Amino acid sequence: MLNITRRQFLTYVGAAGGSSALLKANLALGLMHDDPYAGPVTVKPASSTNKPSALILGAGIAGLATAIELERAGYQVTILEASHRAGGRNLTVRHGDKIDEMGQPQICQFDKAENLYFNCGPARIPGHHRRLLHYCRALGVPLQIKANSCKLAYFHDDKAFGGKPVRQIDYHADVRGLMAELLWKSADAHQYDQLLSEDDVAKLMKFARLHGDLTEAGKYVGTERAGSTTDRMLEFPKPHAPIELKAMLDSSFWYGGLLGAELYDWCEPLMEPTGGMDGVVKGFVRHLKAKPVLHAQVKKIYNQENGVEVTYEQNGQFHTIQADYCFNNIPAYFMAGIENNFSSVYQAGLDSIKRGHLFKIAYQMKERFWEKEGIYGGISYTSDPVAQLWYPSHDIHAPKGILLGAYTWDPKVSAAFEAMTPAERLLAGAKSGEKIHPGYSKYIENGISIPWARMNHQMGCGMRMSPEDWDKYFHVLQKPEGRHFMIGDQISHHSGWQEGALASSEQALNQLNKLLSVNIDHGVNSHVS
Amino acid sequence: MLVKSFLVLLTLAAMSQLAVAEETPTPEGLEYCTVCHGSQLKGNANIGAPRLSGLPQWYIERQLLNFKQGIRGAHSDDDRGMEMRPMVSGLSVDELKAIAAWVAKTESDKPKATLTADSSAGKALYQSCAACHGAQGEGNKAIGAPSLTGLNDWYLVTQLNHFRLNVRGAQSADTYGQQMKAASVMVTSEQDAANLAAYITQLN
Repeated sequence: MLNITRRQFLTYVGAAGGSSALLKANLALGLMHDDPYAGPVTVKPASSTNKPSALILGAGIAGLATAIELERAGYQVTILEASHRAGGRNLTVRHGDKIDEMGQPQICQFDKAENLYFNCGPARIPGHHRRLLHYCRALGVPLQIKANSCKLAYFHDDKAFGGKPVRQIDYHADVRGLMAELLWKSADAHQYDQLLSEDDVAKLMKFARLHGDLTEAGKYVGTERAGSTTDRMLEFPKPHAPIELKAMLDSSFWYGGLLGAELYDWCEPLMEPTGGMDGVVKGFVRHLKAKPVLHAQVKKIYNQENGVEVTYEQNGQFHTIQADYCFNNIPAYFMAGIENNFSSVYQAGLDSIKRGHLFKIAYQMKERFWEKEGIYGGISYTSDPVAQLWYPSHDIHAPKGILLGAYTWDPKVSAAFEAMTPAERLLAGAKSGEKIHPGYSKYIENGISIPWARMNHQMGCGMRMSPEDWDKYFHVLQKPEGRHFMIGDQISHHSGWQEGALASSEQALNQLNKLLSVNIDHGVNSHVS
Repeated sequence: MLVKSFLVLLTLAAMSQLAVAEETPTPEGLEYCTVCHGSQLKGNANIGAPRLSGLPQWYIERQLLNFKQGIRGAHSDDDRGMEMRPMVSGLSVDELKAIAAWVAKTESDKPKATLTADSSAGKALYQSCAACHGAQGEGNKAIGAPSLTGLNDWYLVTQLNHFRLNVRGAQSADTYGQQMKAASVMVTSEQDAANLAAYITQLN
């Protein structure tokens, strides 16, 4: 919830004061979670003669991580996966890959080349996502730096500056200059005299001058920090004329996009697995003894006295299996469609998790035209429906590149894209792109779109819960019911992030350890020696 | 202890036999349907996908055709219908017939009531419905009126409101939908729709 709030404020909160205040509050909250990380949970080891069994439903990141920790403890693990592939929303597509959208599946038409891939789900890893980074290290997943922001990329809004895209560095420098000038002026007008000593006011004014690159008289007249309108190598630099304060205020400060790189989850430098985010999935599968059973759709889950019974269907055949424990990574909103004997409270909790509507477009561009504009990675932000353009920071100067042409979080905007055909989406996205990069369309060779709320076996990304349901049910879902544990980013405060999925797995395995020690105390059903 | 285990085993065996008898395999390529409509098409309110288990084949066929032709699922106020439409728009009429035949074979428990509404007020409203849909909601194939038992109450509410608000049954190509719209004029509010749905659910 917190995470969605962060995302929403970025796109929707217009009032700059409100958004930055909220940002500060979130950052403060985030910082408080900076506990030292000692690695994944060690599940109590099984005895060599009595290996307990565990069923993992769904081969998403939480399922795979849970499986690997249980195998490490000597459990017999079975992973059931409904779709044609493991990974869940960790999906990287390349030439010929299927994008299994409900009713209108697409086949990726990117050229067959190592550098032409697209991360449809998670795409970046900050340095403090230590659970995920642990697995990257342990599973041998090579990482590279991913530029998530680029000062030479653009802000664009039809309603600001005549719809002309503005370079982020120009805008950042001018925002800072103008805000520093206001600070200097209020200090100069004795606004802080009650609060601070004369000396401290002087220090504040000195800081304002430094912060905004103001003149001796506290005026902001532009800064070389944003470059020059002349060739700086051969001529004296001449800064661009600053944006007028009124125009700056009317531009809504890019709806918080201004502070994009300030978010804790986007704090630089970010990373990505070399060759695609699915390197993480491949790493897990490589190290698992139990390979995910594909095309296995779960139909029934019954908690029993000493275990869990699950029925799944595969190629028209029903199979029923029992296990001592079950870890369920299926999107919770599907559970009402799966026969079960859960308590009404537990089922109500599952029902309280609602589908999220994230949407992405990716284009294969025949030239990396953005690099000629000095953009090497990072994001342009626009108030157009596509919201963001991401420039790849891998394979710089390669002949072609995959550019993210839309990433929308507003459920209404995403729903509008969902209702289109894939071809219509690419056209709509191209129209927005033209506003930021004139001639954009002529570089497009092909493209794909990922409406997460329409993807087979997912039907959503970035789950939502109402604040009331959050209070009422989240703790219910964090605990097992019988031998059944819910996992996935849905059982975390960080939906839409692999770190959230891994945290949920860790939490569930801690609960398992707790359950095992209770069983030992009572001398019943202990699987530990 | 042994006796108890034996009894448990017997019960389990009985349960699983019963379960096997009820299960209709999902035809290849139709796994998509069960993702939203659930196991044996039991329905899933979270997705807005109604229970379809055992609905009459002719009725399902007609509705699938309606979705294919944009008679249903084309109105911008019908979010869930718009989600359904692309699922069938690329399928042939023969394929739709095969789907309907499978849907008719599926079985699941009748859905539980989820509404709190005035079912006695609903009963009074239902008197006009009974002429076509039957006193027990059993339906009448001869006049194209489907059975109403076994539908989710929340789905009934949505559809009654759609008829009331011209979201469904407003197109000239929708012969049966237009009839239904005309016949449901006595449902004049959301409350009426809820009351009526609450009564119909009692007929289950």
